[in-house]
Amino acid sequence: MNTVLVLIIFAILIFHDLSRFIKQKDPIKVIAIYTFIMSASLVVSLLLAAGRRPPGPAEWIEWMLKMIGVVR
Amino acid sequence: MENVKISGIQLFLLIIGFLFGSTSILTPVASAKNDAWLAVIIGGLGGACLVWMYVAIAVLNPSKTLVEILRNRFGKYLGNAIAILYIWYIVHFSALTFRNFGEFIVTVTYPETPMVVIIGIFAALLVYAVNSGIEVVSRSSELFVPLLFVIIIIISLSLITTHDFTAFLPLLENGIKPVLHAAFEFATFPLGEIFVFLMVFPHFNKKINNLKKIAAFSVIIFILLYLWSIFEYLFVLGKDLLYRANFVPHIIASLIPNSNLEPLIDIYLIIGGGVKISICIYAAAKALSQVFGISDYRKLVTAVTTFSVVLSVWVYENLLEMVEFAQKVWPYYSIPFQIVIPLILLLSSYRAKTD
Repeated sequence: MNTVLVLIIFAILIFHDLSRFIKQKDPIKVIAIYTFIMSASLVVSLLLAAGRRPPGPAEWIEWMLKMIGVVR
Repeated sequence: MENVKISGIQLFLLIIGFLFGSTSILTPVASAKNDAWLAVIIGGLGGACLVWMYVAIAVLNPSKTLVEILRNRFGKYLGNAIAILYIWYIVHFSALTFRNFGEFIVTVTYPETPMVVIIGIFAALLVYAVNSGIEVVSRSSELFVPLLFVIIIIISLSLITTHDFTAFLPLLENGIKPVLHAAFEFATFPLGEIFVFLMVFPHFNKKINNLKKIAAFSVIIFILLYLWSIFEYLFVLGKDLLYRANFVPHIIASLIPNSNLEPLIDIYLIIGGGVKISICIYAAAKALSQVFGISDYRKLVTAVTTFSVVLSVWVYENLLEMVEFAQKVWPYYSIPFQIVIPLILLLSSYRAKTD
């Protein structure tokens, strides 16, 4: 159910923006950057919705700072 | 650059709203217990130095955004690479502010509503504001941020009879170390986050030298108001509850006798958090559009906000993780973005000017 909701919300957002970009004949780099960011968001959202939370940025940052020895 | 101008009063209120963003619910100096007020003074002085540094960078590079300054000083490729790191950092802390907002509302006001719904609705509102332009965000702050002052005064005066004016004694009970640690936290959160305004300062409509006065005035007013709030928290709650509680301003508001003024804290947070996240999303979208040579930042606002919302849900598993990260990791993570790179920019800008 959560996964379907996530897909519907992203479909609405992407359809709304991409159709605008195509109508306004925006350069391909706008579409590429937009697609990249939205795809990353969609993948993480689907994983979260499925209950498979990947290690978050807070954990990576803490791990890096621990490796350097800044945080104990 | 878009031809949008903001006035001195608008900039002042934007900075005040931004600074009160998350500090309206989190208390970054709580770890200093009864010396929290001392941490605010020391951290405030440190934070004021950081803000001075950002303003000096803006004055030495008039009409240039952070991305343009980075490119000027480090060259196109290294400048763009550092700008991308900055974009990540800005999106990350806008996500943290979204999460603070969501955690607070879910814990206190709407415990039955899923957090992502609350964050999503708030985000939709902010996308609309940012898409309308920085001028609209500034005008909105002109309308709403003065309410923050009113709320602080109402809450303080309502609790005047429940104060224990000796609660801040004894001085330095646990030594100077926790005070310095809390002061460092306060300098980086929220004062050091003002570097985001390097994306906004080019829209200032007065002489660039007036920027120094406005920034100094905003920071002084914020530190004084925050010092007032910290004394109030200490006098009303005492050191132990101040240290243990998660949402101190909410507890303070719930203690007001014979009235229910808790929703004032929600309003406080919506205004402060709204200004802070709007500025962050604007800065991130604008920086991204400049790095990739896109003429209008508005095309990327929805994508940046969506990522920020997803990140806010992803970034922590629970409230305790959020508080621990804010206290233990965030200040050190911020050092390169808030201190090291701006210091290099300041020195190289100063050198370029004297040459």
